[in-house]
Amino acid sequence: MTEQLSTSPFVEFIGGKMEEMSEGYVRVSIALDAHHTNPNGVMHGGVVTTLMDEVLGGAIASVRGMEVMRAAPHATVEMNASFLAAARPGDSVVVEGRVLRLGNSIAFGEAEARRGDGELIAKGRLTFAIPDRSA
Amino acid sequence: MTDDRGAAPFTTFIGAEMEELREGYARLSLVLQPRHTNPNGVMHGGVITTLMDSALGLSLGVLRGEEAFRNPHATIDMNAGFLAGARPGDRIVVEGRVIHMGRSIAFGEAEARRNDGDLIAKGRLTFAIRSRSE
Repeated sequence: MTEQLSTSPFVEFIGGKMEEMSEGYVRVSIALDAHHTNPNGVMHGGVVTTLMDEVLGGAIASVRGMEVMRAAPHATVEMNASFLAAARPGDSVVVEGRVLRLGNSIAFGEAEARRGDGELIAKGRLTFAIPDRSA
Repeated sequence: MTDDRGAAPFTTFIGAEMEELREGYARLSLVLQPRHTNPNGVMHGGVITTLMDSALGLSLGVLRGEEAFRNPHATIDMNAGFLAGARPGDRIVVEGRVIHMGRSIAFGEAEARRNDGDLIAKGRLTFAIRSRSE
């Protein structure tokens, strides 16, 4: 399935760009600017957690199909993210999401964030609830 | 101590407001707009994780005082459970509390509620505190 999918309104608002979407996989990127920082002048953790949630939501949608997703949208129930290194304005950050398992009621995924120089800066594990279609 | 540092540029950018900030505690709020949504038209999870990270980073900053400027702390781990959704028009309040501050690690928890009082997310965050000798 290669349905064209744009990013969420929130990801578009913060400046994220959809780079690739294939079955069970999504990659987005963002060019860090001064408004993406925390008071220490480095990337705010919320930028990466936002993109992790985005890539997994999209990767699951790519497997479930847009029609099914719209009829019974999946929702993040749990996210666990570790921040390994910092990034600064001027850096680009790429976040990849992969579906590990899609069950009837639960889906599991993992996400990786890398700086433009290839350094792994964050790892995430996400769990989604898949609503019962008959509900 | 009331710190003069405001919210992070990113937190201000997404539209959040600082409601209260004191030692070990911060409260932020945000009125959800259509730009805060995911493709299903409900709040994007990243809005909440952003506010949780900010609330804890700031409350820890006030607790550490001047030392936080010399040796900034950094989030190393965040765990968030999403319990209910929220929609444009809803007002979200996120509270962060430092539950323990050690010499090199600090732990905090965060709660997000809708204006009707419903708990919509819970978070646990861990921060690294840089040693003074570094």
